[in-house]
This record gives sequence, C-alpha cells and structure tokens, in this order.
Amino acid sequence: MHQSIIISVNNLSKFYGKTLGVQDLNFSVSQGEIFGFLGPNGAGKTTTIRMLLDLLRPSFGQIHIFGKEIYDHSLEIRRRSGYLPGNFSAYGNMTGIDFLRFAGSMRRTSPKLQSSLIDRFQLSKEDLSQKVKHLSHGTLQKLGIIQAFFHQPELLILDEPTIGLDPLMQEEFYRLLFEVQNKGKTIFFSSHNLAEVEKICHRIAIIRDGKLVALETLESLKKKKVRRLKFILKEPADELKLPGAKLVKQKDLYYEYLVEGDIKPLLQKLSSFPIDDLIFPEPDLEEVFMAYYHKEE
Amino acid sequence: MAYFYFIWKFHRGFLIFSAVVISAFQFLILKLVTTIDYSAITSYLLEQLPENVQAMFGKDFISMLTVEGAAAFGLNHPLVLVILSIGAITIPSRHIAGEAETGTLELVLSFPVARTKLLLNLWISVLSFLFFIILFAVSSSLVSIYIFHQLTAGLFVKMITIGCNLWLLFVFVMSLSLLLSSFGKEGNKVGIRVAGITLVFYLLHYLSSLWDTISFTKPFNFFAYYQPEDLMTGNRSFSLHFVVLFSLILICLLVSLFQFNRRDIPG
Repeated sequence: MHQSIIISVNNLSKFYGKTLGVQDLNFSVSQGEIFGFLGPNGAGKTTTIRMLLDLLRPSFGQIHIFGKEIYDHSLEIRRRSGYLPGNFSAYGNMTGIDFLRFAGSMRRTSPKLQSSLIDRFQLSKEDLSQKVKHLSHGTLQKLGIIQAFFHQPELLILDEPTIGLDPLMQEEFYRLLFEVQNKGKTIFFSSHNLAEVEKICHRIAIIRDGKLVALETLESLKKKKVRRLKFILKEPADELKLPGAKLVKQKDLYYEYLVEGDIKPLLQKLSSFPIDDLIFPEPDLEEVFMAYYHKEE
Repeated sequence: MAYFYFIWKFHRGFLIFSAVVISAFQFLILKLVTTIDYSAITSYLLEQLPENVQAMFGKDFISMLTVEGAAAFGLNHPLVLVILSIGAITIPSRHIAGEAETGTLELVLSFPVARTKLLLNLWISVLSFLFFIILFAVSSSLVSIYIFHQLTAGLFVKMITIGCNLWLLFVFVMSLSLLLSSFGKEGNKVGIRVAGITLVFYLLHYLSSLWDTISFTKPFNFFAYYQPEDLMTGNRSFSLHFVVLFSLILICLLVSLFQFNRRDIPG
C-alpha cells in the first residue's frame, strides 16, 4: 500500500550565529509511522522539532509537511498537528481547566474527546481546579498530552512526552499512541529514552552533535547491534579469543564481551569451553546507540 | 476574541484598579479645586518665594488651580502617568518577551495562530484597555465638573481631546514596549528598558522646560506631544500631536510585526 510522506526534511541546517544547531539533516516520515528521533540532550532534537513547527527558521534547507512548504503553509500545518514541547509549561496563574479551555478555544477541539482524555489520564476535578503553578510535574505533563491530542491531529510531534509520567500512565500513553497510529495518524517521537523508543517506534533516527548518524528501521538497527555476552567458566581456559567479539571485562572466571555481526563462529568457538553459566540477552538499543557514538568518537 | 479575553482575565485586577484609582483621583482633584479657591491663596504664597523658586513651579501653575487647569493637570499628574505606564509597558513585555522566556509563547505559536494576528491581538487588547481606563478618567472628570462646577461644551470637547492625546501617548509607550519585546527574550529586561526610556524622556521633558540649554530636545521628545495644559488654554493644536504620535505608533507597530515574524521563538 502506498503511504504518503508526511514530513520531508531536506538538507536542513540551523546555526545560532556561529554555533551549530543542526546540520544537513535529511529524513522523511510516512503516514501512519511512529518515527523515533533519538539523541542525548543538546544533540539537536528540540531544534529540529522547533523548525518542524516553524518556531525556528532554518539557516538552510527545506521542510515539507503534508507536502507543503512549512513557512508558506505554517498555519494549516499547525492546525493539522499536535505538539507537546519538551519542557511543557502553561500559564502558571491559570487553573488546569482554564488552560484546557484556552487551548481548546485556539484549536476548536472536540469537548467529548477532551473529557475522555481527562478521564483516561486520571485528572481529577481537584487537579483541574488547581492553578497550573501548583501542579506536580506529572499532572502538568498530562495537561500537555491532552492539549496535544484533543483536536485529533493528523501529525503529532512529541518531545520527550513521557517525562514525569509514572509507569502506569506511561503504559496508558503508549496505548494511546498505538490507537492514534492505528487510525493512520503520524507520530514524530523525540526521546533520549532508548527503551521506550525501542518499544513503540518503527524507524529511528539517531542524532549526535546536530548531525544524523543513523536512520534505520528498528529491525535493521537491531541486526547491526552490538550484543553483550557474559559467561562464567567452570575452570580457567587458555586462548580465549572469540571471533567478532571484544573483551571488555574479566574477573577470575567471569568474562564479558561485546559481540558484533554474525554470531555462529562465536558460538562454535564458545562450545569448546567449559561454560558454567551464560547470559546472551536480546540486543539492546543502548548498545547500538553507544556504538554509534563511539564510532564517531 | 479568545486572546482578548485571555489577556483581560490575566490583567483584570490591575486594569480595574487602574481605572478606579485614576477616576477617583480625577473626581477628587476637581472636587477640591471647585469647592475651595486655592488660586488666590497659592498666588499669594508663591509671590512670597524667591523668583528662581517661583520659576520652578512654571507659568501655568496658577492656572492649574482653576477648574480647567486642574482638569488638565489631573490628566498629566505623575500618579496617572505612572499607573498608565505600568499597564502599557508590562502587558506587552510580559506576553511576548516574558512568554518567550517561560516557553508559553512556543506553545501558543504551536497553535494555528499567525504571528501577525497574535501580535495585533495583543496590541489591540492593550490599546482597548488603555482606552477604557482613560475613558473612565475623563468621564469621572466630566462628572465632577458637572456636579461641582459648570460643564460647558467647550470644556467637554477639550477634555475629550486631552483624553485622546493621553491615550495616543500611552499607545505609543505600549507600542514601544511591543517593539522591544519583539526583539527580547526576557520580559523583565524589556520592561525595565522601556520604563527606563520612558523615565529618561519624561525627566528630559521636565528639565527642558526649566533649562534653555536643553530646550532643543523638545521636538524629539514624545512627551512634548502631550501638553494638556496647552491644549486646555488653546496654545497648542492637537493635530500636530496626533500626527507625530500616530506616526511613531505606526513605525513601532510595523517594525514589531516585521521582527516578530522573522524571529526565532526560543523554548
């Protein structure tokens, strides 16, 4: 099935004076995709997001959303998008419900959906009647999520959306994301939390120091992954050289290796040793992430 | 309309306070002047002072103690100017530069609202609030004159003219605050800068009327285009004030719109 491109970013660069924000970014996001945008703090994730919303103006390059150039069609694009900023902040002197009313008046929202989201994220009347400045971080984040979703946008741009949410609410949030995605909506999900990106995203872009260092599907990324092999020998062994693996830690009979590429030769070699215990977990995105970073360094 | 209501809700306490204080002040000052003949007493007292001290009070001081003079003076009193300045300076600086600082501007501009529309909505909102505060003040003066003195058609027209002039002056101060906010990232800094500029111009205006050496600055000072006493006595025409202040407002607004549309919105 042909899926249209919702976000298209070409040669995008942003400089703050002489300081680099992001450089030469190229990627696209298809309809119905959950696209993970991964990188540590200060890598350029938020700068990219702000350019997608026309809050920052690119120094070079182009952004097309829904097939339209961002600068010329900014209003229409923002009407069809929902945004949750990284450090979500609302007007401190407003109550929670007043804030939602204000956001609703700017967005022309569905009151039904708004109240169902309020129930879903367990915001009580007391929470909503408190001034925003007195709300806990988690409750404030829930308000942010509701205002991003309550007009049923075609594109959701979420910057670190689960920060401050407790594990139960995080799970509820992931369920909401999948529901929205099943309805054909597109999600641009920025995070530095590898586990959640691994859990929900189809494709992942990794950004480092303002440059894209990887853009792959989750599966292909996992194939490239560096896995951590840990084992304990029954007795000391000579010549413990494993193909495609690099020893990172050893203490007495305990060994820890980083394994890259095909694991068959390694397993063959390993079978000739007296293994007492072995741990070879599923590839973890963390390792890939670190590997990409270390490669660059 | 939603944004207008939002700004109103945010500042209604201060705005109502301003309208009440300024109106009460106008009412009382005119009541005092119309019920006691200060003019004769003060003239006598002034004559006892050395000449250079008399000069400090200005040539129009005695005329201020007439009903017309007091009505003009009331709308040029530092208390009125300070209260109006606070509203005209803080609201734009808080909602543009201040919100850029706190991150709420980022959120508002992620809604489907054009930057031009947002800035114009803010400008029109503050302009309307200033209009209503001044309208209350002028109405209060007129009521006071009507009750305690005699309200003539000429005085009515002059009071309306002075009110319009005062409104234009503070729309300019507000537009200046908007202009600096469209460049700024911190609400407090912008507020302090605009307050500083306003104060310097006010002091310069006051000093230039006492000190001939700096009187050349008068045409370049926006406070020179609000002279209620001169408007009341007919020594000055409102049209010049209107043209100058309106032009300054337009320049500030257009530059603000241009800058706000091209600037990066920090988070």
